[in-house]
Amino acid sequence: MNRIRIIKDRIAEGLTWLSSGISALMLIAIFVFIFKRGWSTLNWDLLKNNYNSENLMAGYDHIDWDEHGAFTAPGSLPDDAFFSEKYGVAFVDSVSAAKAPQMEVVFLDPESPLQDGKITTAGPRQGEKLGLEEGLYLKKISYVNLEGDKKSAGLTATQGKTSEELVSVLDNDSTEIVDFYAQTEGGGLKGSIITTLLLIGLTLLIALPIGVFAAIYLHELAPKNKVTAWIRSSIELLSGVPSVIFGLMGMTMLFQVTRLFGITGQSTMLGALTLAVILLPVIIRQTEEALINVPDGYRMASLSMGATQFQTIYKIILPNALPGILSATLLSISRIIGESAALIFTMGTAIMDNPAWNTRGTSLAVHIWTVMSGEQPNFELASAISIVILIIVLILNVSVKYITYRMTRDKDEQKKNNKKEKVKATTET
Amino acid sequence: MTTEQQNKSKTLIRERSAKRRSLYKSVDRTMQFIFRLCGLIAALMIILIVFFVAARGVQVFLPGYENPVSLGEFLTGMRWRSDQGVYGVFFIVINTIITAFFAGLIAFPLSVLSALMIVKIAPKRLSNVLTTVVELLAAIPSVVYGVFASGAITDIVEKMAGWFNYTTYGGNSMLAVILLLAIMIYPTITSMAVVAIRAVPESHELGSLALGASRTQTNFKVVLASAKSGIFAGLILGLGRAFGEATAVSMVAGNAMKGPTWNPFDLTRTLTTTMLSGLHETVGVDYDVRFSVGIVLMIIILITNLTINALRKKMESGD
Repeated sequence: MNRIRIIKDRIAEGLTWLSSGISALMLIAIFVFIFKRGWSTLNWDLLKNNYNSENLMAGYDHIDWDEHGAFTAPGSLPDDAFFSEKYGVAFVDSVSAAKAPQMEVVFLDPESPLQDGKITTAGPRQGEKLGLEEGLYLKKISYVNLEGDKKSAGLTATQGKTSEELVSVLDNDSTEIVDFYAQTEGGGLKGSIITTLLLIGLTLLIALPIGVFAAIYLHELAPKNKVTAWIRSSIELLSGVPSVIFGLMGMTMLFQVTRLFGITGQSTMLGALTLAVILLPVIIRQTEEALINVPDGYRMASLSMGATQFQTIYKIILPNALPGILSATLLSISRIIGESAALIFTMGTAIMDNPAWNTRGTSLAVHIWTVMSGEQPNFELASAISIVILIIVLILNVSVKYITYRMTRDKDEQKKNNKKEKVKATTET
Repeated sequence: MTTEQQNKSKTLIRERSAKRRSLYKSVDRTMQFIFRLCGLIAALMIILIVFFVAARGVQVFLPGYENPVSLGEFLTGMRWRSDQGVYGVFFIVINTIITAFFAGLIAFPLSVLSALMIVKIAPKRLSNVLTTVVELLAAIPSVVYGVFASGAITDIVEKMAGWFNYTTYGGNSMLAVILLLAIMIYPTITSMAVVAIRAVPESHELGSLALGASRTQTNFKVVLASAKSGIFAGLILGLGRAFGEATAVSMVAGNAMKGPTWNPFDLTRTLTTTMLSGLHETVGVDYDVRFSVGIVLMIIILITNLTINALRKKMESGD
């Protein structure tokens, strides 16, 4: 080997190291970016809160303001909270998940008159008790000032836009409170999490039986002829179709199916049907691989004992193929969680707090899409949801890897044992 | 027990077992039918998809439609203004092909080299790590790629545009789409290439080594040449993914109104982003025309498959 050859080889080999290095760097960059942007937003409240905040309005017409004295601030108040001694309430300024300023009620004295409000707006709930509570976000509060005029303060009013200003206005200028307008905390993922679970359940319910049965047909029953080859290649083709096309298909073809259930528009059911079609090739391929791993001897033994073909499939083959079917299920769940384009068409992009199988809704992935495609893309929230999705998908993929590892290990051990026995048998004779 | 009674019980048992046997047989037959039905359903899906999407997509060009779009203008148009009712898809097709082509150009060599590294060069441990890297990249959902692209890739693109004294629309540009697609199709091509390289018979390598070729020469000249067919199959899959990728691309494409886009720092519009943009109502020409775009997309993917297959055959016969 001459020197030029060696240098050339070194360069070529260096290129392979470089390109694999780039791919590893890419993966690290994605993870670092997503975790850095989203980690501070991710917390337990985000997962269990509603997305749409509820509006609360109540008045205090019936309260005798003179009987309440001054309140003292408790020692446990956070440093950035401002306490109103007159009404026994404390506020903190913060920024919402949608980057809007908000004013949280962090403390309300149990004796405070503000908790005895009543709904004054006309409607079926008029007269019900509704007071200010800890954890609500105050938008506006109306009061009567020293001159006896009605004024308002708070985020949506002209004055009192910060907690400090608001508290000083209330303590120094007001004689009584007329009413308040507050919101519950929004921006949460509860609805999308429920929709995602619903979607996983419905999709697997539809796709698993069809996929597993189709795989059984292809591997156990189908004759080796042109028709079977054609069936195989058309299933193969299905896996190359982009997911937007599946979305379009859902809106024209499967829409007719959901109409039978009395659903008139986009729905979780329609999304599940569409996903079932997307998953068919995945499930069929995985299941068939598992069926191939079941030794032929099992089939022959069962059939020669007089069992019918269905008995053999149901009692011998399927239990042995179970790990493969399980890994098909896990892979499917990972696809369902990640799918977005097809669901944007079939389930819509409106985030719902109380989703059902026959209404619109968003899975976590579509939730990201909705948050990102608005007027002001919300990176922090999108990254936080991405973290949730990434963690679930990673766990699922690692489990699938573990299952396949176990499956192949069992098979290798079996082979080894068989060989040992054979050797034994030959030495004994 | 008299013989008569014995005979009676014997016939009873025989009848019962005959009944049971016929029951088993009918169960067997029904289940076989169900299995076959499921296989057929799975196989028919692709035909149904093409049929239903095509039927709805053709509708907007037919004279009976409320405000029909002219097929000629649709196929040759260089403007897409849904607000003015102008739908021209030709420049979108060009944009789609350009972005996918350049993404493939970046990703293909990286993928092939990484696959070679995984199978032939890296020690066992490192090879396992790299395989996991590729699998993880493949498992990341496209929306997550979208978030990454519109946060990180657009920043990089904006800086690059600054070097050329060019301002972008917040980094949303054709270059961002190309870089994003390159990352997204990399795992697809790599995993196919790994399978193809693994399948190369050892005798090819041994022969090459015996003739005095170095290890690296063997890897590049013999192994890659033998795995060519599988590697090209990976390229087809990768380009198919590049053409069909929707959500992530929509987050950085910016949806240009006219085109085609030649400057990498300008906004672009691909077939998939067109289908997803401004999706509000589910009736009317603005909605139905998305199905026509879907037909165009399917045709492009089909043509790409055929072209690459033909190319591969030509290369193989040329050897």
